[in-house]
Amino acid sequence: MSSERSETGKAGVIVAPEDASAMDTLAHSVLDDLLYNIVHDLLIKVHRDEKMARAATAAIKVEKLANEASDLSTPDAKPDVRMETDAAIYEDGKVLLKGNPLKLTKEILCPRCRLPRLLYPTDGKGARKPDPGIAYCKKHPYIEKPGYDIYGQTWVAPGPGRGKKKKDVANDSNSLATGVEGGAKDRPPNVLSFPSATCSKCKRCILVTRLNNHMGSCIGNSGRNASRAAAQKICNGGSNGGSQNNDNTPPGSQKGTPLPGSRAASPRKRDMDEFDEDAEESDPTNPKKKKVKPNALPRKVILKTKPPVKKEKVKGNSMLNVEQKVDDEDGNNNGGKNSTVQVAPKKSTPAKGPSPTKKVKLGQNKLPPPSSTKKGAKRDRDMESESSGTLSSPPQ
Amino acid sequence: MSARPATPASPKNFKVKAPQPGQPLYGCEHLQRLFNQDQATTNTSIQHYKAALRIILDTTPLIPQTAKSIEGAISTSLTPTYLCLQCPWTLTEDDRAKHGNKKSHRFYVESRSGALYCQMCDDIVWDPTFEDLRLRKIGTGTFSTSGFPQAYHSNTAKFDRKRKHDELFAQDPAKDSPQFISTNTTVASCKANGLRGIYNAGATCYQNVVLQSFLHNPVLRNFYLSDGHQSNTCEMQHCLSCAMDDMFQDFYALENTNGYTAANILSGFWISDKKAFENLVTTKEQDAHEFFQFLAEELHERNGDGKKPESGSEHSCNCIIHQTFYGKLQSTTTCQSCGGVTNQVQSFLDLSLPLENLTQKKGKKHGGKIPAMTLQECLDEEYIKSDKCEYRCNACNTMQQARRQTSIKCLPNVLSIQLKRFEFKQGRNERAAKIDTPVHFPLQLNMLPYTNRAQVKDNSELARSATYDLLSVVVHVGEIDTGHYVSYCRVGDQWFAFNDHKVELAQKSEVLGARAYLLFYIVRSLA
Repeated sequence: MSSERSETGKAGVIVAPEDASAMDTLAHSVLDDLLYNIVHDLLIKVHRDEKMARAATAAIKVEKLANEASDLSTPDAKPDVRMETDAAIYEDGKVLLKGNPLKLTKEILCPRCRLPRLLYPTDGKGARKPDPGIAYCKKHPYIEKPGYDIYGQTWVAPGPGRGKKKKDVANDSNSLATGVEGGAKDRPPNVLSFPSATCSKCKRCILVTRLNNHMGSCIGNSGRNASRAAAQKICNGGSNGGSQNNDNTPPGSQKGTPLPGSRAASPRKRDMDEFDEDAEESDPTNPKKKKVKPNALPRKVILKTKPPVKKEKVKGNSMLNVEQKVDDEDGNNNGGKNSTVQVAPKKSTPAKGPSPTKKVKLGQNKLPPPSSTKKGAKRDRDMESESSGTLSSPPQ
Repeated sequence: MSARPATPASPKNFKVKAPQPGQPLYGCEHLQRLFNQDQATTNTSIQHYKAALRIILDTTPLIPQTAKSIEGAISTSLTPTYLCLQCPWTLTEDDRAKHGNKKSHRFYVESRSGALYCQMCDDIVWDPTFEDLRLRKIGTGTFSTSGFPQAYHSNTAKFDRKRKHDELFAQDPAKDSPQFISTNTTVASCKANGLRGIYNAGATCYQNVVLQSFLHNPVLRNFYLSDGHQSNTCEMQHCLSCAMDDMFQDFYALENTNGYTAANILSGFWISDKKAFENLVTTKEQDAHEFFQFLAEELHERNGDGKKPESGSEHSCNCIIHQTFYGKLQSTTTCQSCGGVTNQVQSFLDLSLPLENLTQKKGKKHGGKIPAMTLQECLDEEYIKSDKCEYRCNACNTMQQARRQTSIKCLPNVLSIQLKRFEFKQGRNERAAKIDTPVHFPLQLNMLPYTNRAQVKDNSELARSATYDLLSVVVHVGEIDTGHYVSYCRVGDQWFAFNDHKVELAQKSEVLGARAYLLFYIVRSLA
C-alpha cells in the first residue's frame, strides 16, 4: 500500500476520485483498509466457530461409528478399532481429520447431546421449516420477530380487565394462530399468560403482577408499613389503585389484634376483591367454561410447545429440586401449586375442601415449575381465578 | 521485519495436546504430518508459534504489520500480513504463495489475530494445540499454566490478572480430569441457556434489570453454578443468596423459556431487616442502583466475612461480591501551603459519575444546547482532574487549601458504573430532576488512564489488565417519578434486550444508543 500509490485500499470499496490530491487518496485507501480489517476480523471469528464446530462434528461421527463397531458398554473406554468416514479417521483413540471439514461436513452436531443443530430459526427473520423427521438438539437459533421473544413466545396482556383483553389479543393474533376464536381456551401454545406465585408468609397464591404489592402488605413489617402506605395513599390521592383501599382498614385494626388473625385479615380481604374482579370478568364468557379452562389450558401449553420427552425430563429435574430443598423451605414449596403435597405441610389448611381435587389435576397436567419455591408460578392466570374462588372461603 | 528473536533450542520437549473426545487431534492433515515428523520439528514449530504470538500481541503493531517481499522490499500495511511459522519472515498475502513455493514453508500466522494459515488447505486451520496457546496468550498474557514469576507478583499484585484468574479458577489437576468432571456435574439440557425474562411483580422492573445483570455476569454465574452457595445446606431462613442460587439453577438448568417469577428474591427483599430503601412503599417505583447496592451488600453478608462492608474505609473480603465488584480508590490530598501529601484508600462497589456539572459546563460552551458526552469525559472529570478543597493539614496544623485527586488503585473484575441521571436540585422544593443527556459509552473501555499507574508507559500487561468489555447496560426510560427499566446483556457476542418477562435479540447499535443509567464492564483477561 505504501510503496505504490493506488486509489483504494485492499477492500477496493472506497475509491478516491481520479482528481483527488495525494492526501485524499491516502485517506481513502486508509479508510478502505480499515473496512477490510473489520470484515476480515469478523470473518475470522465466524470461520473459527463454524470450522471448529464442523471438525468436532466429523470427530463425533467417527467416534460414534467406532463405539458402535466395538460395542463397548463403557462410554469412556477407547475402542481399539479403526474407522473411517468421508471426513475423519478414528485410530488408537485419536481422531484425525481428512481434508477440510468446511467442505466435507455439512451439518453440525451438538458436542453435548450429539444431535444435529437446527441451523435456521423456525419463525420470524430468516426462518426455515425444520425437517420434522429429525430430532434436533434443543438449542435452537433465536427468533427475531416483532412482538415475540427469542423463543417465539408472546404474552397475554396483563392488568385489569384481563378477561376481555385476552380475547382481544387472541383476535389480534389471528394471523399467526390457528383457531383463536373462543378466547383463552383456544389460545395458541406460544401465547403465555402470567403465572401466580406463593407468598412465602401466608402461602397464598398470588398473581405475579400483584406479588410485590401483596408482599409489601403481608410481609412488610406487619402493621407499620401498611400504615405508612396508608399515609402515602392519603398524600397521593387515588394514585395507588383500588386494592390498597382495602388494605386501608386492616392496618388500623392490626395493631390491636393478635398477629395471626390480622395477618390473614388484610390479604384475604384484598384477595377477595381480586377474585371478585376475576369472577366478573370470566362470567360473561361462560360460567361453565370456567371449570374446564384451568385443566385444558395448561395441558395445551405443554403439549404444543414441548415434545413429551422433554416434559418428563423437566419433571425429573424439578422433582430433584424439591428433594434438595425439603430441609429449608418445604413450607414454601408446598404451599402453592401442588395440593397433593399441600395436604402434608406444617401449616394446616383444612378448609381448602374443594380445591385439592381440582388442583391435583392441575398439578399433573402442568408443566412442573422451574423452582420448588415457585410451585405456583406456572399456574395459569385463569387457574388463579378458579382456585381463588375456593380460597376466598377462609383458609384457616 | 527481521525482529523475530531466534529462539534457542530448549531442552523441554513440547507435546501435542492430548486427544479429547469429540475433537480431532490436529487442525488438518498437514499439521498432523508436521507434528509427526520428529520431536525437534514439533519443538521448533511450537516455539516459533509462541514467538509469533508474542510479536503480534506484545509488541507494537508496526512490527508484525511490516512485511518483506521476496525481493527484499519492505512495506508496512494496515491489512493483515502473514508471519512464516518456519522462518523469521513476514509476508503480505500476495507474497505468501511465492515464499511457500520457494522455501516449502507451508504455515503462516495471521498478524491480526494470531490464527494459523495452512497453505496446502488454503484456509485458516484451528489446531487444538496451537489454539490453546493462542487463547491462553490472549487471555492471560502468558503461555504458562501456572503462575507468574514471583517478583511480578509482589509489585504489581493488584494489577495481576493472572493471580485473580488463578484465584477464581483455581484448579486442582485431579479435579480437571474429564472423569472427575463427568461424575461430579449434572449436565443441563442444551436448551437451558440462562435466557429468560423475569415477571414484573408490580413495579419491580428496577429489581429485574439488576437481577438480569447478575445472571449474565460470568463471575457470579460460575460461583453459583459451582455450588458456591448451596441453598440446600444453608441454615438461614429467607436467605437472599439461596434465592439467588435457586434462580441461577432455574435459569441455567431448566428448559423453561417463559418468564421467571422471582418470588423468593422478592420475599427475601421484603423480609430483610436491612431496609433497602427508606420509605419503602409497595407500589412505588424504586431506584435500580439502590437495589444493586442493597443486593450486593446482602449477598456479601451471606457469603462474606460478615462484616459490614466499606463505609469509607478499606475493606478487604474474599466473598464473591468483593471478588466481583469491589475495587479500591485512592485519594491524594496535597496541602497547598506545606506541600504535605495524605493518601486515603477506600473500597468501592461502583463508580458514580455525576453528569450535572459537566452537562452545564458543556451547555455553556455550546450556547445552551447540550451536546452528547462520552463516558471517558465523565471519568476524566472524576479520576484525572483534581479539585480544590479545604482540609486540616497535620503538618501545618491549620485549615488549609488543598488539592485532592482521586484515582483508582485497584480495578475490580466487574466494573459497575452509575451515571447519576437523578439529581436533587437545591431550592426548588427539593424536587429531583432527571438528566437525559446522552452519554456515549464504548464496547471496550480502557481504564488505565484513571488508575494511579496511568503514567507507566508501554506496559502491555498493565494495559491488558485495564481493558474492559461491556457486559450489561441498565436503562431508565421515562420521567424521574415514573418510568420503566429495561436492560441489555451480552452473552458471548450476542446482545439481548430484557424487558421484564420479554427477551429479544438486540443489535449492538441499539445497545450503544441507549441512555444508560448503569453500566457493567468485565475485565477482558477474565473473559
